Amino acid sequence: MDRRAFLQTSAAAAAAALPWQPAAASAGWRTFETVTRVEVVNPRGVSRAWVPLPLTDDTDWQKAIGNSWAGNALRTQIATDGKYRVAMLYAEWRDGEPAPVIEVTSRFMTRDRAVELGKPLPNAETLTAAERAFYLSATELIPTDGIVRKTALEITKGAKSDVAKAHAIYQWVVDNTFRDPKTRGCGWGDIKSMLESGNLGGKCGDLNAMFVGLARSVGVPARDLYGVRVARSEYGYASLGVGSPNVTRAQHCRAEFFASGYGWVPVDPADVRKVVLEEPPGKLAVSDPKVEAARKRLFGSWEMNWLAYNMGHDVKLPDSSGPALPYLMYVNAETGGEMRDQLDPDTLKYAITAREVKA
Amino acid sequence: MRALVAFAAIGFAAAAGAAELKAWTGGATPELALQDLQGRTHRLADYRGKVVLVNFWATWCEPCREEMPSFERLRQSFAGRPVEVLAVNLGEPVGRVERFLERMPLGFPMLLDRDTGVAKAWKARVVPATFVVGPDGRIRYVHYGELDWSSEPVRKRVAELLE
Repeated sequence: MDRRAFLQTSAAAAAAALPWQPAAASAGWRTFETVTRVEVVNPRGVSRAWVPLPLTDDTDWQKAIGNSWAGNALRTQIATDGKYRVAMLYAEWRDGEPAPVIEVTSRFMTRDRAVELGKPLPNAETLTAAERAFYLSATELIPTDGIVRKTALEITKGAKSDVAKAHAIYQWVVDNTFRDPKTRGCGWGDIKSMLESGNLGGKCGDLNAMFVGLARSVGVPARDLYGVRVARSEYGYASLGVGSPNVTRAQHCRAEFFASGYGWVPVDPADVRKVVLEEPPGKLAVSDPKVEAARKRLFGSWEMNWLAYNMGHDVKLPDSSGPALPYLMYVNAETGGEMRDQLDPDTLKYAITAREVKA
Repeated sequence: MRALVAFAAIGFAAAAGAAELKAWTGGATPELALQDLQGRTHRLADYRGKVVLVNFWATWCEPCREEMPSFERLRQSFAGRPVEVLAVNLGEPVGRVERFLERMPLGFPMLLDRDTGVAKAWKARVVPATFVVGPDGRIRYVHYGELDWSSEPVRKRVAELLE
């Protein structure tokens, strides 16, 4: 091996060993397409489906381009939850339709997102009193009193600013919860039960809801965002991306808190626990450099190899006789007035594919 | 207590064959000023006195591609009368739109909504979305989803707007 080749090989090896490698891709906007195909198998009577759509409002890190659908639905409708602006495509099939099917294509753009804490922005977003109250309020599964507030007060003792409180809660979630691979789906985020039982295992729907509930209970506005991973991680973390175009089971939720001078700050303590459990070779120590790098990075930044659907809680599906959902991150369907299991894409039969669209 | 949420319907479409144009109830007609593939700016206001079909579409949208020839048939069936079609592409590269037109030549302007800002102003979040604008410049009908725009029921609606 000549010196030049040796240096290149050594540099590549060194880079591969570095946690949180610089992104190989451009830091600019990337365009993605998801295709969600839903089939209601063994239909009985009128069938209905609800397919989550990309975030309604454009942000600095995600912009919707458009959606289209094809299939044999009798009628379709884009519905938006009036409280959280949860967008979904509603499809309805007539009684007697032998093979209800709909395919929803969504295009959107994303770019990586980072907030530099320590450098307040002069033009940072602000919240009205009503918005602040909204993002401090309790939801069905995320109370902000009792054991939730008691726990948060202990965690944030001595913390003065919203950033300091949020950071203390983030560290606590990373240090005290764990990713439980046996949790169905992403977990429903019943944080009161988690705290009362002392079982702090779960997935993103549990762990990030824990962050949100604890933060809200001590006056730090916070919210969950529900979505799906759409690409591999460009930062050298196999566990934080998807390895194939099939993203049917790649749903993932994240969290944000609001801090004066910075606006909404992205965090993802659940993904730190995912790195601990799943990053090869697996079951890493919290002190592992890869975990430490992820822990540092995921307080204030998100890699946008992920599509945000919405930030809704207690979502009542239009025209559904079923109860409100803790959140809408999965395809839902019912036939003959009976909801199908949204966490079983084979029973419900839906598939999601994702690809990056190059110019 | 579970929060009760109200849902606002933004789009509605019936399956092809049973489709009907829906009367527009969405309020004022948004502005539209976009460049075509040759760089000429088209403003909706410039089409006052004509019935204009504003169609939001994308090459990646199969129903959009399927219904596109029916706009051409509609336009030709009203030849010599003040009926125009403005196709608005959602944020795709010019080259991709041009390649599409090489395969499917169309006789009406192809406008470029590069940042999809116009589509959002028109609430065209699902495509195809087509708005029928009357000679007075106001949206009269809307249809989300695929439709045969050269069908007799649609032609009848357009003809009524010309009376």
